[in-house]
Amino acid sequence: MNAQIKTLVLVAVVAAICVAATFMKRSDVYLLSLYCVYLMATMGLNLTVGYAGQMSLGQAAFLGIGAYHAAILLKFGWPFFLVLPVAAVACFVLGLALGFPALRVQHHYLAFATLGFNVLVYLMMRNEETITGGTFGISGIPRPTIFGFDLGGHLAYFYFTLASLVVLGLLLWWLLRSPWGRAFAALRDNPIRAESLGVNITAYTLFAFAIGAACAGIAGVYYASLVEFIEPGPFHFSTSLTMLLAVIVGGSGKFFGPVVGTVIIVLLPELLRSSSAPWLKFMQTWYLAVFGVAVVLLMLWLPGGLLSIPDRFKRKGAAK
Amino acid sequence: MTAHPSFLEVKDVCKHYGAIRAVDGVSLSVRPGEIVGVIGPNGSGKTTLFNSILGQIRPSAGRVEFCGEDITGMSPLELSRRGVGRTFQTLQVFGQLSVRDNLIVAAQEFKGTLAGRLFASPDAGLGHHADEMIELFRLKHVAHLHAGSLSYGQQKLIDIAMAFMPAPRLVLLDEPCAGVNPSLVDQLRDLLVELNKTQGGSFVVIEHNMDFIMKLCPHVICMVEGKVLAEGTPKEVQGNREVLEAYLGN
Repeated sequence: MNAQIKTLVLVAVVAAICVAATFMKRSDVYLLSLYCVYLMATMGLNLTVGYAGQMSLGQAAFLGIGAYHAAILLKFGWPFFLVLPVAAVACFVLGLALGFPALRVQHHYLAFATLGFNVLVYLMMRNEETITGGTFGISGIPRPTIFGFDLGGHLAYFYFTLASLVVLGLLLWWLLRSPWGRAFAALRDNPIRAESLGVNITAYTLFAFAIGAACAGIAGVYYASLVEFIEPGPFHFSTSLTMLLAVIVGGSGKFFGPVVGTVIIVLLPELLRSSSAPWLKFMQTWYLAVFGVAVVLLMLWLPGGLLSIPDRFKRKGAAK
Repeated sequence: MTAHPSFLEVKDVCKHYGAIRAVDGVSLSVRPGEIVGVIGPNGSGKTTLFNSILGQIRPSAGRVEFCGEDITGMSPLELSRRGVGRTFQTLQVFGQLSVRDNLIVAAQEFKGTLAGRLFASPDAGLGHHADEMIELFRLKHVAHLHAGSLSYGQQKLIDIAMAFMPAPRLVLLDEPCAGVNPSLVDQLRDLLVELNKTQGGSFVVIEHNMDFIMKLCPHVICMVEGKVLAEGTPKEVQGNREVLEAYLGN
């Protein structure tokens, strides 16, 4: 498929989702909005892990930092479009700081360093009650009004989130197509060689973390306005693991990998759980077990993720 | 740039690992445009010497100068910005990037600033130059394939082509012929001679293939047990009795 056809297919899919959403139940539209929010965070994680090859188990912490920024500042009456850059910059700066361990350690050591960061942030959210509300959380987070349009309705907010996701996706696409994208890939494939060719691996490592974190921070702002009530639970490190799973299941280092992977981790469990077809009845109680087995089988059969299926068939074709 | 009589000057460089003297007081000088060969048995300290010059490891003693500047212990990044390139003993390509992207990334960081490259065209304005190198190294038929999916010999050619993409002033090549079939060895030698003429850089080449090194390098150094045993023209080194005993055999 050439680039023009791919773009047309993509536009058609987005348009179809927009139309389909008007016929959906409120809970399904909410789920789609949640998908868009998580996709913003997993696309950022894909840049850090998939493109730049830096292990991160701290993405949920940035989602939480963005969400708490939004919850606190929106309740103070700050406009949404001011909260958004403030949260993004805060996460960008913290992401830069989290990138420093990556300059010294890699792989599972780095995974534990970032996981430690997530645990630290989670504990702060839970224990710093005066700021975060502790386990009681913060409720009554308003949804924005943009140019006079009230986005309080579930459908309006979904369209707003989807449009923002498309903008973020285009920005990331542009970034990864620039020489930076190639430098990230060089850093992932062979940092020693990259450095000998003038690639500033320190700068690119830090930016990979910072940009990935900023994406999660932006996602957090949309998340807070979507759920209208936040508490520390959704920002536990298990969410970071789930987001990493989305990147790997979809196809790490492939632009549309998280798009597919986030369907698997956000939409699929809900679809299995809420399925009403008689032959799927058992799913209502067994959906987590089925989901777990499916993920194990997928990783065994397709370690490159779902988007590596075409490559696999191409290789088989070439071998014949 | 002012031309220095000695382009690269290595003075009494030592690298010790405890009691082991991997490199023991080695001195050598390379003139602009010169191709110098370094030979010696395995474990004689050739690669350690390279790594000491190129900032991969910090020498225990001694000094390395490039164009009159002290570059001892400088990081590979700083050295690459001064026009010093290298290849490694083992294959070092970016396996998941295409051949063309491997060549572009090898030179893109020398164009503009970090922020400027964010707004540069996807090929960083290096597409044409990359295509020329692909043509020169006869890699056109595989230019759009992932480098990691190619044969060892093809990856070796990419590896070397990458080192020359930014037109470095000095290139240190560590066993460019290792694992390469004999027909490719001749092609590689011709390429290096051509690049030496067109780009005008100086090369230091570590190699075990005597035919390759003797035909390519007008000046050869033989290292044994971390020290320079002999140096001179290929004929002089080949005829040196100590070199024959320690490395080449009778």
